[in-house]
Amino acid sequence: MNWDLLVVALLAGTANWVFRVLPTLARTERLAPGGWLERFLAATGPAAIATLFMAAILPLLSPGVAQLLPVGSGTVAVLGVYLVRRSVVLATLAGALAHAVAFWALT
Amino acid sequence: MTRAAFRDGLTASLPIALGYFPIAFSFGVAATRAGFTEGEAFTLSLIIYAGASQFLALALLTSGAPVFVSAFTLIAMNLRHVLYGPALMRAAGKDASTRRAWVWAFGLTDEVFGQALGALARGQRFSEPYMLGLGIGAYLSWLAGTAAGAFAGGGALDAWPALNAGLGFMLPALFLALLLSILSRRQLPVIAVAGLVTVGGTLLISATSGILMGMLVGAVTGLVRR
Repeated sequence: MNWDLLVVALLAGTANWVFRVLPTLARTERLAPGGWLERFLAATGPAAIATLFMAAILPLLSPGVAQLLPVGSGTVAVLGVYLVRRSVVLATLAGALAHAVAFWALT
Repeated sequence: MTRAAFRDGLTASLPIALGYFPIAFSFGVAATRAGFTEGEAFTLSLIIYAGASQFLALALLTSGAPVFVSAFTLIAMNLRHVLYGPALMRAAGKDASTRRAWVWAFGLTDEVFGQALGALARGQRFSEPYMLGLGIGAYLSWLAGTAAGAFAGGGALDAWPALNAGLGFMLPALFLALLLSILSRRQLPVIAVAGLVTVGGTLLISATSGILMGMLVGAVTGLVRR
């Protein structure tokens, strides 16, 4: 077993359990909304996801139709399916499928 | 009543489970391709159980990022889950029980949260056995998909380059879909600042620095009252 992986998994897994369970048990929805902590926590998720989307898409953005067309097709598919179905899972699968089809069409 | 509610939850988890399996499969393939064993891939899914974080864990661990930087990045990414339990319980009503939340609330992923909130919005009564069934169905699918992908192996898709390319796009697609799911006018400045700082940090310093700077500056932007 890779010990670095185990430590990262245990820290991230424990944090996940804490994030999902403790606020549910503590019924924190009864606290007054709008405080600085609530605003910071509410902003952390969107900031993290925006950051990771940029980090994931940047290496794929190289010049050339062969690279850009599959990325563009996948992105449009995610946007389109999400707008219609409001499902993260379906939009993700549609994006991957569109990317694969565009890649296949170009090769 | 309890068993029926649990079964209802399991049934409601089917669409999520069907969607989770291929994403988890691609995670299993990516993990073994990155040099991890089948057991290590399965351990990540078993303990972390958060798709985007797990893909990111592979990238961070294989790039040689320090353990605590990697853990901090994954933890920051999942901080949004802090809001799911309270949002769900607000919709469930003040008399809803949370006695067994220490078990079922671990399954509050983005999709399980969305499904549960949707059921309450359609007038369904909140029930802990339902939440347990919903969570277990999704979790088992995630674990099964990871195991299948890991045992298929990193080279399993070499003969199908288009499928390989499609699975390689799964991660940006997942992040984009997650971003759309939380998009609101209030968070637009946060998202814009985080994205721009990430690009700047990545181009000027390094990818790891770009990620950390983007998250921190973006989250701090949320403190500005508008």
